Amino acid sequence: MKKTNLLTVTVISLALGFSSCSKDDTVDCHECHVAYDGPNGEIEVEISAADGGEDFCGTELETVEAPGYTYAIPQTIVGMDTVPAGSYAVHCEEHADH
Amino acid sequence: MKVFLLSSLLMMNIFTVFSQTKGQVLDADNSPLNEVNIYFSDQNILLESNNKGEFVTELEIPNNSFINFYKNGYTSKVIKYNSGQLLRVNLKKLHISLDEIGVTEFSGILGNSKLISIDKKSLKIISSSMVEDLAQLSGIDMISSGLGIQKLVVRGLSGMRVVTYLNGMKIENQQWANDHGIGFTDLGLYEGEMIKGSSALKYGGEAVGGVLYFKDNPFIESKELSGFASTNFDNSHFSFGNQIGLQYSKNNYYFNLYAQYSVASDYRLPNSTYLFNSRFRNKAVKFSIANRKNKFQNILRYQYNGDEVGIPAHTHDNLDDVSLDDITNLDIDLTTDYDIIRPTQFIDNHLFIYESNYFFNSSKLSFFTGHFINNLKEYEKWTVPAFDMALSNTQFKTNLRSSFNKSTVNIGIQAGILKNENNTLETLIPDAKTNDLGLYSTLDYEKKSYGLSAGFRIDSKQISVEENNYDQSFTSFSSSAGLYFKQQNHLLRLTYSGAFRAPHFAELFADGVHHGTNRYEIGNANLKLEKGHQFDLKYQWSNDHFGLVLNPFSQNILDFISINPSDSLFNNTYRIYNYIQYSKVTLSGFEMNMHYHPHSFHNIHLEQSYSFISTNNYDDNSVLSQTPSNKIKTGVKLNLEKYNYYIKLNTFSLYHLYSFLQDQVVENETITNAYSVINLALSFKYFNKLNIELGIQNLLNEEYVPHLSRVKEVGGGIPNPGRSFNINLKYEL
Repeated sequence: MKKTNLLTVTVISLALGFSSCSKDDTVDCHECHVAYDGPNGEIEVEISAADGGEDFCGTELETVEAPGYTYAIPQTIVGMDTVPAGSYAVHCEEHADH
Repeated sequence: MKVFLLSSLLMMNIFTVFSQTKGQVLDADNSPLNEVNIYFSDQNILLESNNKGEFVTELEIPNNSFINFYKNGYTSKVIKYNSGQLLRVNLKKLHISLDEIGVTEFSGILGNSKLISIDKKSLKIISSSMVEDLAQLSGIDMISSGLGIQKLVVRGLSGMRVVTYLNGMKIENQQWANDHGIGFTDLGLYEGEMIKGSSALKYGGEAVGGVLYFKDNPFIESKELSGFASTNFDNSHFSFGNQIGLQYSKNNYYFNLYAQYSVASDYRLPNSTYLFNSRFRNKAVKFSIANRKNKFQNILRYQYNGDEVGIPAHTHDNLDDVSLDDITNLDIDLTTDYDIIRPTQFIDNHLFIYESNYFFNSSKLSFFTGHFINNLKEYEKWTVPAFDMALSNTQFKTNLRSSFNKSTVNIGIQAGILKNENNTLETLIPDAKTNDLGLYSTLDYEKKSYGLSAGFRIDSKQISVEENNYDQSFTSFSSSAGLYFKQQNHLLRLTYSGAFRAPHFAELFADGVHHGTNRYEIGNANLKLEKGHQFDLKYQWSNDHFGLVLNPFSQNILDFISINPSDSLFNNTYRIYNYIQYSKVTLSGFEMNMHYHPHSFHNIHLEQSYSFISTNNYDDNSVLSQTPSNKIKTGVKLNLEKYNYYIKLNTFSLYHLYSFLQDQVVENETITNAYSVINLALSFKYFNKLNIELGIQNLLNEEYVPHLSRVKEVGGGIPNPGRSFNINLKYEL
C-alpha cells in the first residue's frame, strides 16, 4: 500500500511538475522591424502596426510573417545611417541589445 | 503485433517456479565485501552484495551468461556462468580504478575491450553535462554552443559518420547538421560505450567514424521500491533541473521509471556578457518494463525527450560584419530571459523499443524492434516554421550468439526503414525514404595469451526521393579483424576495420536556407559510397600503481563527403555551402593514457591522456576543416571517504584541459589559439542517502573558443561560458 501511494504521489508530482513548468509560448503580439544590410552592418527600422502601435498581433502578425511579404518604408535615417525607400522583408524575432 | 507482444508477456508468467542462485563476494583476505555490484549483463539485472558479502537471485541463469562483479577500488571480474557453479568470487584491492584509463578489461554491449578499441564511461554522476563528461575521454571532442546544443566528435569525425545507439536503437535525428544535438539527456542512463573507428560490424557498416552506445540503468532485483530524486543548478546558464527515478521488481517483473525537467537562460561569457538566445528547456520521461522467466526475457521501453533550444548568434547580416556586441546582452533579466523566443528549435523525440531474448544451451537468440520518431521544427518567425520535419526510423534486428569452448560467434540480420516528411512548403531537405538491410557475422576466439576477432557485413541501402526522381541502391561490404597478445601485464592489439557509408539524402538533395547554421546548403546528387579503412594499434601495460596505454591509429577515407563554403552569398546574407566528395583523405593520430597511483598515498589517482590528430586531404594537399586541436587532459582524484571528515567530504577532483594551438586550417577557417581550462568538483555524502556534488567549471575564467565550436566563425568567435559553479543534490530513496 505504501508503495502504491508512493508511486501515485510520484506520478501526480510529475504531472504537476510538467504542467506547472510548461508555459504556453504562443505570444500573440510582437514588435517587428525591417532589416537593411547597410555598409556597416544590419540596420533595423522599426515599423508600426495598423493601429499605429508597435505590436503586430494575431492575423496581422501572420500576414507580415508570410513568405514573400514585404513592407514598404520611405527613406529613413537611423542614427548616422540612411535606409533608402523601398520594400523590405519583415522580421519579428528579437535581437540582443548590447 | 500488439496481440503478439501481450501474448509474449502473458506466456512468460503462466508458470511461476522459483529457483534461487546464491553467491558471495570476498576480498583477497576472504573477508566479506559489501556493496559489490553484481551485474548480469545478458539479463540486464543488477544486484548488490549485503554486509556478509552475499547475494541471492531468483533469476534462472542460463549457462554461459556473463556476470560482472565490480566495486569502486577493487578489481572487477567477469565470469561466464556454468550451471551448478559455486558463485564465490574474490576481488583484489585495486589502485587503478578509473575506467577511463583503458587498462580495465571488460566485455560490454559493443564487444570485448581486448579485441576491439572500446572505451566506456560511467554516467551515474554527471558534473555539468553528459556530453562534456564524455568529451573528457582521449580522442573525444564535442561541437557545442553552451549546454543547449552539444554533440560528440570521435577522432575528428562526427555527424553521419558517428552512429549513436540508445538501448539498442539507432538514433536518427537529422544528425547531419552541427546544430542538431545528441537528442537525449543523461536521464536514467548507466554508462556509455564507444568504438573509435569502424569496427562495429554488429551495429552498422555506416559507422565510419565510430559508434556511441548509451544504455539505461539495469533493472534491479529488490523487493523494496528504490529510486532517487535530484535537483541541480548551474550558474553559467542559470539553469535548474530536476530528475526523479524509481526502480522496482516483483515476481520476475522489473520496472524502471524516470522523468526530468530542466530550464536554462542565456549563458555568461568570461567578460560577463550573455550570449543572447543560448537558452533551452528540456523535459523527458522514460519507463521500462521487463519480464524474465526461465529462459525468456522480454523488455519494453518508451522514452520521450522534448527540447526547446534557442539558436544563438542569429543575424541577418554577413557573418564577417557581426561583432560580439551584436549578439550578446550586457545583463540578464531572469523574469524574461528564460522565455523561449525566436529563432528556436522545437524537438520532440519518441522512442519505442521491444526486445526479447531466449537462452538455450550455450546460445542467446535476440530479437529487437524499435521505432524512433524525431520531429524537428525550426522557427525563425513566430507564426510560421522555417522547416518542420518528421523523421521516423523503424528497425528490426535478430542476433544469434553461440559460445563454444573458446570462441563466440554472432550471426545477425538488421533491417530498417527511414522516412523523412516535410510539413512546410519551404524545405531544406526533401521528403525521402530509405530502406536498408544488413547481414553480418563475427567470430571472437580467445586463449590464455592471445585472441582474435574477425567479421564481415553486407549492407544494401535503397534511397528514394520522389521529388528528385531519384531511386538508387548502394551495396557495400564491411569487414574487421583484430588480434591481441597478452603476456603478464602487457597487452598488444592490432585491429583493421573497413566500413562503407552511403550518402544521406540531406547530402544528396539539401537545397535551402539552414537558419540554425546561417548557411544556404546545396546537396550533390552524384555522391557515391564513402569508404573507410582504419588500422588501430594498442599497447597497454599496468601494475598495481601505474598504467599506460599507447594507441596510434590511421584511417584512410576514400570518396570523403564534405560540405564546403563557397565565395557566394544567398540574399546577400547566407553563405552558400556545397556538398562535394574528396577522392582521398587521411586521419591519423596517437592517443596515450597514463594512470599513476602513488604507493605512499593510496587515496590519490592521477590520470592523463594525450590525443594528437592530423588530417590530410590529398585532393587539395591540405588538411580537413574542423580538425580537432591536439589536447592533454589531466584528472586528479582524491578519495577522502575513509577519513570521515566532519563535513562528509567524499572526493575531491580536478580536471585540466590543455588544448594546443590549431593552425592546421583550410581556407576561410580561422586559427584557434591554445587554451587551458580547469574544473573542480567536490562530492559530499550525508546520512548515507544524500549526495551533494559541488563543481566549478572554468575556474580561471579563461576566455577561449574551441576549434569545433559551432559559433566560432561568428563575431570573431564566441567564447565558451566563463567561470561558473554548479550544485547537484541527489537523495536516494
